[in-house]
Amino acid sequence: MITTITILIPLLGAILMLLLPDEERLSRYTALGVAAVPLLLSVYIYFAFGDDLNVAALTQDVTWIRSLNIGYRVGLNGLGFGMFFLSTFLTVIAVVASWDVRSNLKQYFAALFLAEVGMLGVFAAQDLIMFYVFFEITLIPMYLLVGVWGDENRRPAAIKFFIYTFLGSTVMLAGFLAFGIIAHTYSMDALGGGGGLSRAAQIAVAAPILFGLLVKVPAVPLHSWLLDVYVSSPTSTNVLLSGILPKLGTYGLIRVAIPLLPQGVEPFLPYVAAFGVINIIYGAFVAFLQPDLKALVAYSSIGTLGFILLGAASGNAVGLNGAVFQQVSHGLYSALLFILVGVIAARTGTRSIEELGGLAARMPWAGGLLALGALAAMGLPGLAVFISEFMSVMGGFATFPVQGALAASGIIFSAMYLLYMLGRVIFGPIERPAYEEIGDAGPVEMVSVVPLAVLLVVLGIFPALLISLQRPAVDAVLSVIGGS
Amino acid sequence: MAITGQAFVALLPELISTGFLILVLLVGAFSPSNAGIAIGLAAFGSLAVFASAAVLLLTGFTGSFFGDGFVVDDFALYFKLIVAGSAFFAVLAAARWSGQTGDAAEYLTLILSVVLGATLLVSMRDLFGIFLAIELATIPSYAMVAFDRSRRESAEGGMKYLITGVIASSVLLYGIVLIYGVSGSAMLSDVADTFTGALTPVAILGLVLMISGFAFKLSVAPFHFWTPDAYQGAPTSAAAFLSVGPKAATFAVLLRILLEGMPGAAPTWTALMAFLAIITMFVGNLFALRQRNVRRMLAYSSVAHSGYILAAFAALQGGGVAFAVQAVLIYTAAYAVMNMGAFLVIDLVGEDAKNYNGLVRTNPGVAASMALFMAALVGIPPLSGFFGKLWIIIAGAQSGSILVYVVVGALVVNTVLSVPYYFGIIRNMILEEPTTDTVRSKGSGGVRFSVYTLAVFTTLFGLLIIPLSVLVAASGLA
Repeated sequence: MITTITILIPLLGAILMLLLPDEERLSRYTALGVAAVPLLLSVYIYFAFGDDLNVAALTQDVTWIRSLNIGYRVGLNGLGFGMFFLSTFLTVIAVVASWDVRSNLKQYFAALFLAEVGMLGVFAAQDLIMFYVFFEITLIPMYLLVGVWGDENRRPAAIKFFIYTFLGSTVMLAGFLAFGIIAHTYSMDALGGGGGLSRAAQIAVAAPILFGLLVKVPAVPLHSWLLDVYVSSPTSTNVLLSGILPKLGTYGLIRVAIPLLPQGVEPFLPYVAAFGVINIIYGAFVAFLQPDLKALVAYSSIGTLGFILLGAASGNAVGLNGAVFQQVSHGLYSALLFILVGVIAARTGTRSIEELGGLAARMPWAGGLLALGALAAMGLPGLAVFISEFMSVMGGFATFPVQGALAASGIIFSAMYLLYMLGRVIFGPIERPAYEEIGDAGPVEMVSVVPLAVLLVVLGIFPALLISLQRPAVDAVLSVIGGS
Repeated sequence: MAITGQAFVALLPELISTGFLILVLLVGAFSPSNAGIAIGLAAFGSLAVFASAAVLLLTGFTGSFFGDGFVVDDFALYFKLIVAGSAFFAVLAAARWSGQTGDAAEYLTLILSVVLGATLLVSMRDLFGIFLAIELATIPSYAMVAFDRSRRESAEGGMKYLITGVIASSVLLYGIVLIYGVSGSAMLSDVADTFTGALTPVAILGLVLMISGFAFKLSVAPFHFWTPDAYQGAPTSAAAFLSVGPKAATFAVLLRILLEGMPGAAPTWTALMAFLAIITMFVGNLFALRQRNVRRMLAYSSVAHSGYILAAFAALQGGGVAFAVQAVLIYTAAYAVMNMGAFLVIDLVGEDAKNYNGLVRTNPGVAASMALFMAALVGIPPLSGFFGKLWIIIAGAQSGSILVYVVVGALVVNTVLSVPYYFGIIRNMILEEPTTDTVRSKGSGGVRFSVYTLAVFTTLFGLLIIPLSVLVAASGLA
């Protein structure tokens, strides 16, 4: 019941936003209030039910279409809770970070909350059809967030995003339906371990599902929709776009594809791991070539998603725990970097790395946090990303030595471009006289980035806060797939 | 043949529509200036037909009358609900337009005649009765399409519709006569004895001709050429109504003929349906992509949606029969709410795609409703169109036929193919700035009310219709 309430509050919030009078301060504070409620509920869930999420208070199972055995089934487990929490957390951050949205503010927040409904729903869904429905619910609000409030290139970017991911998810739905028809249920609980499907049937069903999920991530040959969308979006949309949306794909991989179709995905796993490595290396090299700071962060984000794929494919405890953890730490660091890029661009009027330089002198706080984010991205020990990347690589190496070794080398490449970026943008001489005048990040901006930095550090020092929660669920997955 | 009290009850929807048809015609004859009374009577009449069918459905009334030629079952009553419901919204939409020209009563009489024909049609179990009911529903619709005398396109569209319609009727009748000749009876139960095992060449010819006749009526490619011109020329309320109400009834009777009259010949006609479905989906979507006129776009979209429904017909084999019947029930209702809504928005906003630019600023309620209709036509969950496609895919997957798997694959491809043109409208409404072409607040309260009501139905479709249609199919044909 609490889960359902948490999912529904943003929906009510979206309606409330549309009914408000058109007044900026009122819209911003109401939106903040609405966004805070799901966050508080998920924090409450963490402290009240942290030792065992599989309780009646969090679960709901109502049969909806009896003849097909489709039901409104929601609940939480350790695989999804981290992202469930992060969705509520990043929505609050996105509301705070929405200073660059000035027109149609209340509609913007309404779309943001509608997207939150879909995200929370995906991470709570315990039924394949519910998973798909929530997956698609995110699509239209994201289309609008990019298409209405993005920069001048927004319209083609938005429609490209829509068509690519809609194609992916439609193919995924076909796989889900075939799965449910053969197994006579769509309940994820009942389908665990393959739902009685033969190995050949599992492979046939797994192929379209994996395709849909990998488009969503995106895994590298399927990523061409991504750059335009990331670069065109307003900062606060970037927070969700990079922090949560790719994880709909990776979470589907970890929660649906692997435990529900263990024999079906097995022949594909070396390729999933290879996709992960391609993401890591390709992301790092292309990021190195970007003249635009936001594009650099976008490719860095694609790159580090590769660790999730690698860890998920590994099929061992270390790798899977790393992958589940990396979903959260990736969301934290990429949101941090995107917001800081927004802050810097707003001050200097440019995102071109060539034209920036020496900002540390004028913006010590923003510059310092950018350095922290970049260090997190290259996996500096003490920060959350280090733990999860390290575990993903270790797990990946144990199962796929070649992919694991290549991924480890990818970390070096990412250090290369991130240090180059820091050297150009933050340090060095002040590039332009105009930069002498700019000030540091203001209080609102600091409020939007400091919590992200704090969580990066806290989870880096006390990873058990999250890992203790996800371990039982990961062990359950391992017992299904027969890994260790 | 004794006409019992039971038979009167069974004919209640038809008797009510006949009564109101005559009343509206009389109002038109004796008080032509008084459009308000005619409109009120027609709206009340279509609601009364709806209510009578609903009461019969809820009380579980079933039976076969007039020498087994007229049947009342849940299946028939369900489609009578769709016909009467869509007629109600068509009457509301017609109110403003026909009130101005002073011949409201004639136009409303035509709508009620179509209702009479379509409600009879879904209950017919005799091939000649079916033909007569189709004509009863179609002949007034020629006049409806050509009714707008202020626009040349209306007459042109009506003429094209009339000529192709008459050809279609003769082809259909020829097919029926051949089937009658082969089986010696026009009753579906007798036809079923003949159409089994290996078919004679004459029987196959009859079947193919009959299906071709239906293909004309249902705007199935390659017999769809009249559709864009007729829908573009027709008054909006006529296009809205004809594309959903009578069309649903025609699909229903085709389903009845095939399942009750020719179950033994299923391998032949499912293969035929599979080919028609694939061609129709692609033709509809590829032509719709090129349209700048929203009416023509929706006309080609209706061709595409006929293709989707035919995909359900192709799945009427193996383990897919029950779900395929449900798919037709769900899809026709889903299509009725979303397509009717989209056509009525054209009535409010206009038919040029430029009219929609920035509509969300000038007219947010209508723009949001149109966005819902467009997303539903694509099949985005949890809107109405999604459930139709969901059931078709499920039926197809259970049919166990490779050909049907190909059809389902084509349906998935076409769903993605249709995104650009439906979302083109959403883009114009939400992402573009308003221009001088953007229409600001036009249209009557009745149309607005219909648009908002249909938008709510489209959104809550999953909760409203799924229990009903599944129930109907459980006690229905399959």
